[in-house]
Amino acid sequence: MRRWLWVLVFALGLAGAQTVGNEPPPDLPPKVFEIAKKLRCPVCRGESAAESNAGVTEEMRRQIAEMLAEGKTEDEIIQYFVDRYTEWILYEPPKRGLGLVVWLAPVIGLGLFGFGLYSYLRAASRRAAELEGVSEEELARAEAELGRDDEGGPPS
Amino acid sequence: MRAFLGLLLALAIGALFWWGMQTKDERSELPSALAGRPAPTFDLELLPSSREAWGERLNLSDYLGKKPIILNFWASWCYPACYEEAPILEATWRRWKDRVLFVGVNTQDELDAAEKFIEQFGISFPNVYDPRGKVGIDYGMYGVPETFAISVEGRVLERFAGTISAEKLESMIREVLP
Repeated sequence: MRRWLWVLVFALGLAGAQTVGNEPPPDLPPKVFEIAKKLRCPVCRGESAAESNAGVTEEMRRQIAEMLAEGKTEDEIIQYFVDRYTEWILYEPPKRGLGLVVWLAPVIGLGLFGFGLYSYLRAASRRAAELEGVSEEELARAEAELGRDDEGGPPS
Repeated sequence: MRAFLGLLLALAIGALFWWGMQTKDERSELPSALAGRPAPTFDLELLPSSREAWGERLNLSDYLGKKPIILNFWASWCYPACYEEAPILEATWRRWKDRVLFVGVNTQDELDAAEKFIEQFGISFPNVYDPRGKVGIDYGMYGVPETFAISVEGRVLERFAGTISAEKLESMIREVLP
């Protein structure tokens, strides 16, 4: 029982440590990370300015904090970075122009897949329906012909 | 008709795949928001080695509109790229210093390490110290080294990311010369 208690304490400690690790450093308000998540790290691949530890992203977060302290809105702060880096700096592509293609591609892909699946299933059910329309007499004749083929097959 | 549509779809997917493979994420090919726009100014402390010839601080606006400027972002920890281009920058500066101003921006670096770098390459053009890397963000810099060509009118004409060659630097200078 006592051993289990220790395991529980250890597990809780580990969970606590994980939570602490994922939290923003105490010197910057969470809002800074909320905005930084919407911006790309200029020197990394696939990382936002909130996750990266690169020097440039540290400065980006610091500038976001300063602008928030000056009373700037989230949109104004994001625009500040777009003015310097173009829309490339946005972590999520804008929902217009070429960026719209990125957003619509999964929907279009899913639509094409759905259409393909529908066409295949319709053709398959049509073939099944055609078989249902065959009379008993025709079926018996076909089976007899198949049997004759088996008997008169090539010698092995 | 059906086979044709299938072939068309396969071709479209193939073309998309090919395009995706071709799209490079090279920093030098990324867009610069500054092209054609006025160069952001800054007023920063000069590295101690630059102070004797250039004073305590360098305010870029004091030089804009007088001469074309080549602005180079570097750091001593940027190895080997910054080490490869440093002798090129110094040699080109010595050749063109009557007509073009070179300004180095030491970015997110330690002062001692930066000074050691300057000494190692005998850099004689002015270098400012930007430990936070604030100016780099103002210029939309992706990472060191990066070089910007600023016209005599004070507009950013070109940006080059990565180790600059002597040929590229010369071509940037010719572009900004009046």
